Amino acid sequence: MMNVSDVLRADRIALDLNSDTKEGALEELTELLYNSGALTDKDAFLKDVLSRESISTTGIGNGIAIPHGKSANVLETTAAIGRCDKPIEWESLDDKPVNFIVLLAVNENDRTGVHVKLLSQMARKLASEETCKRLVDAKSAEEITAIFSE
Amino acid sequence: MKIVGIAACTSGIAHTYIAKEKLVTAAKELGHEAHIETQGTIGTEDELTAQQIKDADVVIIAADIKVGGKDRFQGKRIVEVPTHIAIKSPKALLNKIEEEIKK
Repeated sequence: MMNVSDVLRADRIALDLNSDTKEGALEELTELLYNSGALTDKDAFLKDVLSRESISTTGIGNGIAIPHGKSANVLETTAAIGRCDKPIEWESLDDKPVNFIVLLAVNENDRTGVHVKLLSQMARKLASEETCKRLVDAKSAEEITAIFSE
Repeated sequence: MKIVGIAACTSGIAHTYIAKEKLVTAAKELGHEAHIETQGTIGTEDELTAQQIKDADVVIIAADIKVGGKDRFQGKRIVEVPTHIAIKSPKALLNKIEEEIKK
């Protein structure tokens, strides 16, 4: 049985991002992915993510952003999650700043893989305002993983 | 209303699925019936059936890219919006469509 915990590792969840800018937060999360072996090239991945950002906002409202990069530099289709104390301006759909970021990393060749499906399931969860609120208030990486696994 | 639709976004990873979920939830809350097909990186899921399309009062295409299989909706009333509209204010979108249909 597929489970979200297959794509969401505790060492890719940071509850204390330092950045107060979008670029800074994305850099921190990219670093997290790179250090845990999910990427071959962190600069190239970050470039992909920022290029996606330039097309349209990934700030979906309720304090949450879901940036994503799809490239050959991704070794393992996965996600990194970051929360920051200082809300970050993200040009969100509801004009509110963001303090919970779900960065999705997709291997370009992983088109039908189960991991991409799990990421899409995570994205679906974020359609619920209630779930968004619980994620923003979550106290630990375990709690966040549990909410996404429901 | 009976609604069918398609959700599809640029990368086919995130917005497609959030848009679908928002539309289905909003429809349920407003007493409508909605079936939304997703066209994402992992291909087409929840593909609309001929019967669902036949019964539908309206087709909502929430997409940022060209979607496949639009010929299935020939003769139907079609509303096309970018995914962010479906994500930001799904209920307002459905209410507006309902009003238009009643005219």
